[in-house]
Amino acid sequence: MNPFYFGTSDRRLFGIYEPAVQGSAGTRAAVLCYPWGREYLHAHRAMRQLAVRLSVAGYHTLRFDYFGTGDSAGDMEDADLAGWEADISAAIAEIRDVTGAAQVALIGLRLGATAAARVAARAASGVNALVLWDPILLPGSCLPAMDGAPGDVAEMQGFRVGAAMMRDVRAIDLPAILAAISEPRGVRIFIPVTDRTPSHARLDANGLLAVEYINSAQPWIEDSATGGTVPIEVIRRIVQWLA
Amino acid sequence: MSRKIAERAVLLGPRQSLCGILTRPAGPAAGDAPAIVILNTGIIHRVGPHRLFVLLSRALARTGLTVLRFDFSGIGDSDTRLDGLSPLDSCLADIRDALDWLEAECTPSRVILVGLCSGADHAVLYGYTDPRVAGLVLMDPSIPATALFYVQYIGQRMARLRNWVSFIRGRSGIVRLWLEHTAAAVWPGWKARTLTLQNMRTHPDLERIYQQSVARGLQILAVFTAESTRQTYREQIIDAFPNVAFRDQLTIELIAGSDHLFSTDAHRCHLVDVVTVWLAQLGLTTAPAPSRAEVVAPP
Repeated sequence: MNPFYFGTSDRRLFGIYEPAVQGSAGTRAAVLCYPWGREYLHAHRAMRQLAVRLSVAGYHTLRFDYFGTGDSAGDMEDADLAGWEADISAAIAEIRDVTGAAQVALIGLRLGATAAARVAARAASGVNALVLWDPILLPGSCLPAMDGAPGDVAEMQGFRVGAAMMRDVRAIDLPAILAAISEPRGVRIFIPVTDRTPSHARLDANGLLAVEYINSAQPWIEDSATGGTVPIEVIRRIVQWLA
Repeated sequence: MSRKIAERAVLLGPRQSLCGILTRPAGPAAGDAPAIVILNTGIIHRVGPHRLFVLLSRALARTGLTVLRFDFSGIGDSDTRLDGLSPLDSCLADIRDALDWLEAECTPSRVILVGLCSGADHAVLYGYTDPRVAGLVLMDPSIPATALFYVQYIGQRMARLRNWVSFIRGRSGIVRLWLEHTAAAVWPGWKARTLTLQNMRTHPDLERIYQQSVARGLQILAVFTAESTRQTYREQIIDAFPNVAFRDQLTIELIAGSDHLFSTDAHRCHLVDVVTVWLAQLGLTTAPAPSRAEVVAPP
């Protein structure tokens, strides 16, 4: 485990690099993209376990905090989704630089999955595999409307969120993002059975994407009965698919 | 004083197994300044609920202080210990490791421990045992129930329909609490043999620890939130420990309207103000602390 800061001087990002265990064949690397808000806090333990198991399976992994979140620089109200996508790209460049890996697997949870999909859909993203763990599909009307004026801030999940971030998240349309991915065979989507909705059918409208519904806990949800538990079945399946 | 601060990731402890963030003024730190050590809240990693400890670390660093926030073994990004200590003893050993590291790295004149909920309890249990600790910032620490607590607690809950439903279903917290006290009174062997936080919540143990803390000269800032389930009024900590002569070593603040996890930005900023004002009144900082700070790369 190697905790460190990377990125530019005005956008310092905190990350933790887990090297692949010795004896692994080839150089394989993965970047983990956290969820946001309270989900980030609750899922931290599960994401760490995912990184550890990937490193045992031979992956160099980097998980990191987006600008304005966790231990990274900045305040949440100054963050926007485009900036977080740039942070993911910076993390991909960082782990490629550290490990020499030519391609990187991108694994995202919840909002992190959606942001990861947007990055992976770009040409020359350097991403050869994309894992989406219960991604945010169509948040749209769930979010409060903001007038978008400079300085306009709303408080969500206890955080001050700027108009740019709110606008970006409201505009998310994951099925449309996935339709733009050129190599759908490199995409795997994992959805907990308890979180399945009719909207999930839209994810694989073209029959090209692999969607797995798994009977598993949702570690990003605060629950006094399950708090701190690790959804080992999902983690096992993700590692198995990437191995 | 510089408004810029620097943060770096650190690994500490004998096995380099504890993960933390050291936040310091970008310029030279004040020569006689204490260091602040922020402890985990439950299983939430070092950033704290709603990033509270990031905000607090950066604000205090802007006043010239060195701040370390780190994860206990097995929490957040820290590895588990290999020595088989109980969870509580493991946390206390980790605090000692963190202070040893700070002493070698930053040579602070003294240390202030900061904790919320279980973190406050850990700060209380450790503080009086280490002469390097000069003060405690305790947010919603465990405070034994008093007669007035029961009156107010029961009164508040009797006014809520859902509490009547819980009572009828046998899920009432107050009934469980009463049963625990009754069991302890009629069956002395009920108390677990190992040192656990639950045991240390017992009144005599805590009172003795607060007595020793005060005797050692520790300054204590106790911050309570309106939604704490452990206390219902501001002076409960004084009433609960009648044999502790806190005198001017205890400052009590009540942040009205805040929930236990400081879930709104306004309450988090209020807390930062409370802590920085307290430190300034003790002569430990010289500058007021704006809640937000510009972070630069360490030199």
